[in-house]
Amino acid sequence: MLRTGAVLVAGIIGAVVLNAVLAEFIDDYVVRVINLCGVAIVLAVSLNVINGLCGQFSLGHAGFMAIGAYVCSLFTTTQRYYDAASAQYVSEPSLAARMAEMFGADLAAAGSEQLQSIAAWGFLPGLIAGGVVSALAGLVVGIPALRLRGDYLAIATLGFGEIVRVVITNIPQIGGATGLPGLPPLANTSWIFAVCVVCIVFSVNLQRSTFGRALIAIRENELAAEIMGVRIARMKVMAFIYGAFFAGVAGGLLAHLLQTISPATFNFMKSIEVVVMLVLGGLGSLTGAVVGAIVLTVLPEALRDVEREVNLPGIRMVVYALVLILLMIFRPQGIFGQRELSLKLLRRVIPGGRK
Amino acid sequence: MRKALISLFVAAGLLVAFTAGCKDRGNEAGGGTTGENVNLGLFVSTTGAIATFGLDTKNGAEIAVAEINEAGGIKGKKINMVFYDTESKAESAGNAATKLATQDKVLVAMGAVASGLSLAAAPVFQANKIPMVSPSSTNPTVTEQGDYIFRICYLDDFQGGACAVFAYKDLGKRKAAILANRDDAYSTGLANFFKSKFTALGGQIVTEQTYAANTSDFNTQVSNIKGSGADIIFAPVYYTDMSLIAKQVKAQGINVPMLGGDGWESDKLVPEAGDALEGSYFGNHYSQEDKAENVQNFVKKYTDKHGKAPTSLAALGYDVVYFVKQAIEQAGEFDRAKVRDAMAGIKDFKGVTGTFSIDSKRNARKPISMLQIKGARFLPVRQIKPEEVE
Repeated sequence: MLRTGAVLVAGIIGAVVLNAVLAEFIDDYVVRVINLCGVAIVLAVSLNVINGLCGQFSLGHAGFMAIGAYVCSLFTTTQRYYDAASAQYVSEPSLAARMAEMFGADLAAAGSEQLQSIAAWGFLPGLIAGGVVSALAGLVVGIPALRLRGDYLAIATLGFGEIVRVVITNIPQIGGATGLPGLPPLANTSWIFAVCVVCIVFSVNLQRSTFGRALIAIRENELAAEIMGVRIARMKVMAFIYGAFFAGVAGGLLAHLLQTISPATFNFMKSIEVVVMLVLGGLGSLTGAVVGAIVLTVLPEALRDVEREVNLPGIRMVVYALVLILLMIFRPQGIFGQRELSLKLLRRVIPGGRK
Repeated sequence: MRKALISLFVAAGLLVAFTAGCKDRGNEAGGGTTGENVNLGLFVSTTGAIATFGLDTKNGAEIAVAEINEAGGIKGKKINMVFYDTESKAESAGNAATKLATQDKVLVAMGAVASGLSLAAAPVFQANKIPMVSPSSTNPTVTEQGDYIFRICYLDDFQGGACAVFAYKDLGKRKAAILANRDDAYSTGLANFFKSKFTALGGQIVTEQTYAANTSDFNTQVSNIKGSGADIIFAPVYYTDMSLIAKQVKAQGINVPMLGGDGWESDKLVPEAGDALEGSYFGNHYSQEDKAENVQNFVKKYTDKHGKAPTSLAALGYDVVYFVKQAIEQAGEFDRAKVRDAMAGIKDFKGVTGTFSIDSKRNARKPISMLQIKGARFLPVRQIKPEEVE
């Protein structure tokens, strides 16, 4: 407990320091890619609990992200949309602005800086609310869906993701198919790294807890686990809720990093991307999830320069796909398999180390 | 807990490895030129769902760059066009924009095609105070993102309104049916703007039918339209859907003209729809049949190089480069703020997509060409000017 607390505190202090350092010395583009890596890590690590530890194949992560992103944006962003009935654009103030108004702030007189700081105050509640609403959705979907197994569950979760997307598309008040532009740029490295730390620390602890062991038991043999007294349905739903919560938070972060969201951002390819990160890193390995997330975020960006040099549009995606295919041929279990990077593993790898 | 720490270290280590060798940001005020070159950025999608639009835009822009460089460049400097793919994804558009802004330090950025992607790039260029010109994002919110964001195409509200004016005044129609894709912002946007203008003129919307993306059977919607007694069908959808709709409209024996927006434009529209669209109309950014000299020059050059006639997107890609050239020349120097000011003041720019001026909201005020489908050709009927719709 004490150690977990210490790591969390150290991580969050580190996050603030990292942000300051990056902002000062590193190119904005690189910082942006690092931020995207952070969001991808949260997504992959949270999906790893469902797909990797518990062995339930979910393709609904984009749906949870979308819920988190939209709920979070309600807190920070003025919702501006075209009202078909009155044939004009309508603006709805953000929840943060409404709260500020309740405490006596005069929004009409506030400068843009003041408005920005009001929006910033809405960010943390927004992220948490996004996670919670997303987790609730996980509960609602999880209870019926997790009676299914294997392919059937994959299809059901895929369906869930699509339903979320279609529902959002058909609500004009949150932008409909156009989406929401002009979100404030609140998701800096501090926030993203801090969420990363929290997500990784929680996931490591979860992996080692009774709950984590029960999930692994379900993955290895559902029947045997049930006989040993693991409450299968309950455990599965809990894993789903856990994954959904962090996916929602990651969605909120991504929204405020991109500064615009639309249903198209959260299509089913997004879910697939996260699954590919997991499979690449090694399904069931937390380290693998982290590495897979970083590799698959950095690789397409690093290949931009290659594409520019050879001047063949699209070659980037070919190389990207080739890397994936080759990796799956020569290392089907993923980079890490089910192993974790630990001191023990390092000792084994480095010759002459302590046994 | 060790695992957590180690995972974090691995993450941090990989990030540091990635950042090693990256430039730190240097002269923020300067940039834009290197030696004898002026750096212009182009970011459009050449892979993903909307790749054909991006490729056309890029092809058009490349022709303009080659012409300008052949003629001596801009104020003596050759254009070095830095191109990045945006993969039809918002993340990628934001990344490409940031790379253009902070690593390539372009003077002006051109892109993106889809409004959703332009909206992801606009905050980046606004924050870096780099002028961004979208050749073809028609959603009104794009240029609202900041005073450095411009566009050289017309807006969806104008396009929808112009179609309504055309239907009411030129074609004399009074009872319109609308058929739109409800999952698509472009389609629902145009439908809304058409509706408000058409009813304001005194016309009547007799039925509004919508369908979900990837529909292929439109018979229910078409039957409803048939029963409504409409004398024109406004279908602001993409050509892939339109050819199917047109066939089903014809199969049900409805004999009224159809009307659409620039989404119809494709050399595949007529081959796929057969003669079902004969005599129908759509609004477009330009007409390949335009007799003006600059248009015919461009059409010829493009056709020679790529073996097909340029689409509107190619024409807009061509225009955006010349637009940027004129802005830099008017600014008199390679300075982003001055180029921005010059851009905001551009009047009567003569492009292949029409003559236009930039208005106070940094949008192009330009006419729309209404075309009629005759055989496999799109013949210009007339141009509608912004004043007629307002």
